[in-house]
Amino acid sequence: MCRVVGYLGRPLLLDSVLFATDSSLARQTYSPRMMATFLNLAGFGMAAWDDRSERPEEPFVYKVTSLPVFDRNLKCLAEKVAARCVIAHVRGVTYSEHEVLSQTNLHPFRFPGVKVTLAHNGHLREFARMRYDLVGHVHPSFVRHIEGTTDSEWIYALLLSQLEDPFGSPEADEIADAAVRSLRIIREIRHKHEIGTSSPVNLFITTGTCLVATRFSFDYGWYPEGDTMLETDLPYVSLWYTLGEEYRERDGEWQMGTSDRPRSLLIASEPLTTDTSRWLEAPEYSILSASLVDGNVEATISDLDP
Amino acid sequence: MDDRLSFIADVPLFSGIPERELEEVARVMRTVELDAGDLLFREGEEADGLHVLEQGLVQACRRLPGGGELEYARLGPGDVLGEIPLLDGGLRSGSVRALEPTRAVFLARADFTALVSRLHPTAFAIKRQILKHACGRLRLSHGALAESLDGRSQAAEPSSASLPLTEAGPGDFPDGRPPDGAYVLRLPFFRSYGEPEFAELLESCSLAVVPAGRPILQEGEAASSCYVTLNGAVEEVIRRGSDSVRVRLCGPGRAFGYVGLIDGLPSTVSIMTRERSLLLVVPGGRFEALFNGGTISSYVFFNAVERDLMTGLRQSQAPHARLAAAR
Repeated sequence: MCRVVGYLGRPLLLDSVLFATDSSLARQTYSPRMMATFLNLAGFGMAAWDDRSERPEEPFVYKVTSLPVFDRNLKCLAEKVAARCVIAHVRGVTYSEHEVLSQTNLHPFRFPGVKVTLAHNGHLREFARMRYDLVGHVHPSFVRHIEGTTDSEWIYALLLSQLEDPFGSPEADEIADAAVRSLRIIREIRHKHEIGTSSPVNLFITTGTCLVATRFSFDYGWYPEGDTMLETDLPYVSLWYTLGEEYRERDGEWQMGTSDRPRSLLIASEPLTTDTSRWLEAPEYSILSASLVDGNVEATISDLDP
Repeated sequence: MDDRLSFIADVPLFSGIPERELEEVARVMRTVELDAGDLLFREGEEADGLHVLEQGLVQACRRLPGGGELEYARLGPGDVLGEIPLLDGGLRSGSVRALEPTRAVFLARADFTALVSRLHPTAFAIKRQILKHACGRLRLSHGALAESLDGRSQAAEPSSASLPLTEAGPGDFPDGRPPDGAYVLRLPFFRSYGEPEFAELLESCSLAVVPAGRPILQEGEAASSCYVTLNGAVEEVIRRGSDSVRVRLCGPGRAFGYVGLIDGLPSTVSIMTRERSLLLVVPGGRFEALFNGGTISSYVFFNAVERDLMTGLRQSQAPHARLAAAR
């Protein structure tokens, strides 16, 4: 299991989400508060869009298999880069010699020439039985870009293939529709193979100007006997958000400032502060879509039943 | 001391408990005085006990993301604050501020826990009263959510009536047999159970496998059983017209349907399966015997219901906060 943070809004120093808070993403590698069993020790990845950088429509991408808490380079960068949009991910896997720790398995995924970027918190149980059925639903040009061994990269390729123009800049509602269609295809393949085990799929998807997140699980509450992921999956995999003027420290507390119209949105697997009172929990089986329009964040949450 | 005893004896939370049994509780309570504007406690602080207001007026507020506060209650003499944390601790879910000079008596959680650990009958009598009170809180919370939906006060017509559940057979289980104790005893409801207590519970209960989307209890209906989800998920929903809000999702190890069995009132939510679900069905009569009993099995069951209700009460605040933040 993993932890993810997504941000959209006024330029935000990366340090604010990666290191500064008392439950920052870096801390969630070794001390996640809402995961019972596994730590997130299998690497860090990030895509950040900075308006003041060269080619601002392209993100700054950083991926390392080491832990962010020991990464002096990342800390230095985080104190310099302010981004309007970020997806950052720490990877958690089962403690097994069968897991592959490599850069190619690190999130977020972003194929060459494509603007849509995706990170995943969850796992498709029995994915190996589904993989070859997915090939028929993924555009061949994306199949050849799949370098890693994760279910997440396949979900990404599948989602791109559901977009009318995967090389364009889809709006939030187009991405949300593509996410629903992708989940529906996965459900059909699971049904074909009689896979009925709990499989959480919390997705964070962005183009740099919009952000879509899902809180969803297939067949929630059904586990294979003796499953090593049971303790992690028993509670519905969490997703939280907070929105307002800007995310900053006030009187010693990190929080969103007041605003009539929200200008910043943070979505995270779990709150970035131990005090959760400034955060809202997204409902189970929901999809959250947000866009930046004239400097304001327009966000909606709806039920997700693919 | 006598004044305090006669005061708390009149508080509904302590009603039905003989005064001589309340003496020990009154002895460990202390008085708290506040001026207008003073905070009784702050949201996010460790909850250390229960307050009963003797005089004055306070407001209870919750902070909202993006700034601002949501006032969710005003309370006066005789009202109780913090009865939920008295049972399960945790952090204060809101801040409480005096709006005028206020006096309250305070029962520390540590003192109450000491009574419970001695299996003191008064402590369990208070716990039962607190759970009834918590059911009332839950109903108020559901009522406020219903009001916020489409401005209608009448429940939407149920799409289909709830039907009696049929007992599960071997063909209903993935491996031809129900989940084993090793799995079930890891679920939150059964955290205090051992194999013998669970086997004893199973003897008087049944298992049902229910397809997704199946109604189990409709809003307005009387409860007849308590259910515990073993696999799958069940949702509690409030519907008004075309609007609906999910109050709670009950995944593995969460119980539901028991509120009406505790307070005898009809359901304030409609309950249906979200996923195909395997449920443990505790018949109403058996629930009553366990909930009010004095055996070890009863205490274990009571504590499991207590934990579940406290969790449900906390979760019921989430939709309020989301709706308030969306306005």
